[in-house]
Amino acid sequence: MSSSLPEQTKTPAPAGVFTLVITGAPYSSQAPQTALQFAHAVLAAGKRIDRVFLYGDGVHLASSLSTPPSDELNLSEAWSRFLTENAIPGVACIASALRRGLVDESEMQRYELSASNLRAPFEIGGLGEWVDSAASESRVLYFHKGG
Amino acid sequence: MSTLIIIDHPPYGSWDGREALDMAFSLAAFDQPVSLLFCGAGVNWLRKGQDAMKVQQKSIERNLAAAPIFGVEALLADSNACGRYGLAETDLLEHATITDFGPELTGRYDHVAFAG
Repeated sequence: MSSSLPEQTKTPAPAGVFTLVITGAPYSSQAPQTALQFAHAVLAAGKRIDRVFLYGDGVHLASSLSTPPSDELNLSEAWSRFLTENAIPGVACIASALRRGLVDESEMQRYELSASNLRAPFEIGGLGEWVDSAASESRVLYFHKGG
Repeated sequence: MSTLIIIDHPPYGSWDGREALDMAFSLAAFDQPVSLLFCGAGVNWLRKGQDAMKVQQKSIERNLAAAPIFGVEALLADSNACGRYGLAETDLLEHATITDFGPELTGRYDHVAFAG
């Protein structure tokens, strides 16, 4: 990095509120981990996160069944702890989730499936939740799979 | 709060583009101004005469044709990418417009997001 670039000291979110949209899946992409580190930095800077929205392959982050080896970071667990401790809503898009086999109890009953696997505190919701953030003063950041 | 959603993936190879299209339709459904820009291999989304039967997918041509009806303001195709793929405006869907993709374009929108 060029040493002539001044360090950025101002937040790019004028209202001090961020919305994080994660579209990259855990373990297939770096997106959920990068987003988690960014989220910690946001709170450490005294800013707020109004919502974390999981979309596309990002919904896999809300699975209660992911069980990585014990010496690896459990991203679903880490995210769910972060959301709970900071009372931040985590929403998985319903269309993305159902397509990829991620369901809560009510969808399990509606589609007569054999199990549900949504990890608390994540909830299933519509794209309207994302629209709500996009139409607000919140700065919406996207964490894609990259490459 | 106007939004530009950019799709740079070719159609049918993944669900990223379709899900970006759903985002655009959702914004429009909530009366938020939104346009779609196709660049890179993404301009192939706008080709006329698509047949996705052999890959057992629904053609996205019908979805895109319905975009103006659902309130999506513009379907934009990056001129450089159209040149690379040999696409003239007559090869594209009826409501598509060829445009230059750069800061002048993105600067017209409050919110610019790439498809996943």
